[in-house]
Amino acid sequence: MTGGVLFHEQTARQRLDAITDQGSFVEFLPPPERLTSPYLAQLGIPVSLDDGVVIGRARIDGKKVYLAAQVGQFVGGAVGEIHGAKLTGLFKAASRDGVPCVVIVESGGVRLHEGSAGEIAIAETMRAIFECRARKVPTIAVIGTDIGAYGGMGILSTCCDFRVMTEHGRLGISGPIVIEKWMGKKAYDSSNRALVWKTSGGKTKYLLGDADALVHDAAGAVREAIGKLLTRSSPVTLKNAKARQKDLEKRLKRFGKTADPDDLWKSLGVRDIARASLASGPEFVTLARAGRK
Amino acid sequence: MKKPSQRSLLGKLFGASAKGVAIEDSLLTGYAQAGGKDICVIGTCSGTYIGNAAALRLAAHVIDCIERHPRTPIVMLVDSAGQEPNRADEMLGLASYFGHLLSCLELARRKGHKLITIATGKAVGGAFICYGMFADRIYALDSASVGLMPIEAMSAVTKIPVPVLRKLSKTMPALEFGARPFALLGGVEDVWPTDSDLPAKLAAAIAGAAVDDNRAALGKKRGGRKLALDVRNRVLAESRR
Repeated sequence: MTGGVLFHEQTARQRLDAITDQGSFVEFLPPPERLTSPYLAQLGIPVSLDDGVVIGRARIDGKKVYLAAQVGQFVGGAVGEIHGAKLTGLFKAASRDGVPCVVIVESGGVRLHEGSAGEIAIAETMRAIFECRARKVPTIAVIGTDIGAYGGMGILSTCCDFRVMTEHGRLGISGPIVIEKWMGKKAYDSSNRALVWKTSGGKTKYLLGDADALVHDAAGAVREAIGKLLTRSSPVTLKNAKARQKDLEKRLKRFGKTADPDDLWKSLGVRDIARASLASGPEFVTLARAGRK
Repeated sequence: MKKPSQRSLLGKLFGASAKGVAIEDSLLTGYAQAGGKDICVIGTCSGTYIGNAAALRLAAHVIDCIERHPRTPIVMLVDSAGQEPNRADEMLGLASYFGHLLSCLELARRKGHKLITIATGKAVGGAFICYGMFADRIYALDSASVGLMPIEAMSAVTKIPVPVLRKLSKTMPALEFGARPFALLGGVEDVWPTDSDLPAKLAAAIAGAAVDDNRAALGKKRGGRKLALDVRNRVLAESRR
């Protein structure tokens, strides 16, 4: 554990240090290499020496891993040309070397200031992730930050073998503000935090089966969950694709008519909504399991 | 460039075999022919939004193709304004539905199906990422609207004035919206004039498709995305040490 500091309160480099074996993290293309965005420079926007993503290698429980952590404080962790190329390179290295790859997502998606360059970079990274999967090299997305995993980074997260979420993490494509603008405040009030988290938060994603682990908002818990997944993979096979198709069809049939997340929670075993809302990740898992019996 | 109607566009692309492609709720699924050989078709039209149900229907058709028509090339047509901006779809896991569609396409690729995309109308943001940009080779009609978003929309979100963005887009095609600037980034292989011999172009595209992702190299060669390939290669070199 990392004392009292929660995972979502840490910076990207602190997170990487906290989830890896002590002193084992070695950064690739570290800040002294001065790789900065020419787009932001031209627009007169401050640049960052890591372009908003820290990548490197380290060990977790003695096992070699490649890691990336997005930096939410820098343009919302959004993916530009360099940022995206670092991610693509890291997953390509993972596939080449047979080393598991973990990405700590903190991003709203494509960096608008770099237009289509970031969009293509995300698509390229997805291809690299699936190269890993074809070689049974585990890929893991960790989703537990303030910004969450949205836009192209939300989709990219679902391309990984596994997703580890905390109760603080959110996974989606369109964020609440965008949807509110589109559908109106009555349909989606983006200031209603409970509704926002029940729509895209770790608890709902875990219940649906889209998050493979739901853990406490602490680096130690995230690290433990990653450790358990590093030796597993989820191969893309016809059997798995057909099972998933059936699953997702069932989900849509069962819940497609409901807009109320409480209905969803109840149907999936959560009996005491108020208690479950305040529960930590692991407490929530226990409550949901008990309710399903 | 006048935008052709959907049926006439399918006819232009697939000739008489276009009748094998069904249009339902602005989704295209079916089988047609290119260069005298069978192809599978999935896609969107009329600039529709893609929600959970739509992603599932496209995925089902990809699975059908893998099971019943081994190694048949899959042609993806894209005319969609984006992901369904809807809270219920988000709650049920729109990102996961898209991830499933991408997995099915990956499975097809691994099983020897060639994947070709043609951006026919809107090919914007999440709607392009969730299937079209995942092809082996990607093409766009010159009438298509390809890219992250138009400069006006980019200006509205970033608060950077339109004239500033427009001026910069002259030297940074990533900021410009459209099929040709997107090609300069390597995002599409080639831009096809809508009135050209599309069936011949499609047949050649299928014949020449390869599974390597050549976009960063193309972007560098064409000068629209100068950094991506080198940064990637530096990561690959540093991680080897």
